Amino acid sequence: MLNASCNQYRHMQKIQSDESCVQKLKPVFSHVIYKISVDVLGKHISGLLLIKYMPDSSTRIVFSNEMGFSFFDFGFLTGNGFKVYQVVPQMNKKALIKTLRKDFELVMFRNMDSSKYYALSDSNLVYHAFPQSNGINYYITDPSCRQLVKMQRASNKKPVMEAFMDKGSPGDSPDSISIRHLNFNYSISLKKVNPLAPE
Amino acid sequence: MIKTGILLSLFFCSVYSQAQYPGYVLLNHPETFKKSFARATAATESIQSDFSQEKSMTMLSEKIKSTGKFWWLKKDKLRMEYIQPYSYLMILNGGKILIKEGQKKNIVSANSNKVFQQVNRILIDCVGGSMLDNPDFQAAVYESSGSFLVELKPLSKNLEELYKNINIVIDKKDYTATAIEMFELSGDKTIIRFQNKEVNAHIPDSVFIIP
Repeated sequence: MLNASCNQYRHMQKIQSDESCVQKLKPVFSHVIYKISVDVLGKHISGLLLIKYMPDSSTRIVFSNEMGFSFFDFGFLTGNGFKVYQVVPQMNKKALIKTLRKDFELVMFRNMDSSKYYALSDSNLVYHAFPQSNGINYYITDPSCRQLVKMQRASNKKPVMEAFMDKGSPGDSPDSISIRHLNFNYSISLKKVNPLAPE
Repeated sequence: MIKTGILLSLFFCSVYSQAQYPGYVLLNHPETFKKSFARATAATESIQSDFSQEKSMTMLSEKIKSTGKFWWLKKDKLRMEYIQPYSYLMILNGGKILIKEGQKKNIVSANSNKVFQQVNRILIDCVGGSMLDNPDFQAAVYESSGSFLVELKPLSKNLEELYKNINIVIDKKDYTATAIEMFELSGDKTIIRFQNKEVNAHIPDSVFIIP
């Protein structure tokens, strides 16, 4: 209990590092379909998640069930913009949309303001910190910054969400992604689907 | 003058319906269709077939395709098994629904979720032929040379928020569904096409078992 309430980043040392090394680990999501499973507060939803880079430089994320019905269609616009193109009434909750937006922003390496960047060292890991308007996004790498170990969304004191990526081939989208919230029972699992060839 | 007006409105109605569904004409008196359809569906005990599904997202110029197998047994047993490019199994049996993705099984009661219940009933009604009596929809029937098209417009608020309309394409030869087209409010649509249909083949109950 004591451990949960204290600052879990306080013991780490600030170190000199270059944020550009993190940018090199950024995944590519030009066009990919994932099988998605969402477990939230004892409820389970599954379907397909399309991530597509659009000609206007935005990235669209569409979640539909296996039978084709769309749950939501979000647009991550140039800069830090975000647009809800469509959402079913059952999911049209401000807090839920905000959480999904932040989760995907972390995984897509968005909102990485280099002017606010700093790095922390913890034994064999480097925490590359990108402060957000509320909280901090961490990209956690090995000391040489060649391998992304995990990502975290955190308050000022402790992580609230962790994400892991299984990097696919170089220059390709990750094969799998998992997102786990630490303050409530909510997780997302993504596994890449190889789409059927067009006829 | 009144006669001319009626003729003109009939003409425009006919042109409109043909423009809406190319090759189809609205049946202003679908009673004959309903009778033949009811007779045929009364004689249909089971259907098994392959299916292909295509979701079209107009704004994203995107199509997502999948294929699988389909079983239906009168009156309310249905099994849809997606095989490519992902595996997903859904069994509806009475008031229960089994969902299996990979090794993960989930059994839910259709009655516990009204929208899920309505959406599932659409599938059962479309295949089983009782959609014309479903009070959740207003039905219009169109005819082409080889098929009928039943257009279902949602009447209940829950479904109105999900679908613009759902169309069932019915083969004139055996009055079974050859395709189900689901149109979302966003303009996206999903078409499920049934191929290699076998009507009234024996399907063991074990196909629909929900443990």
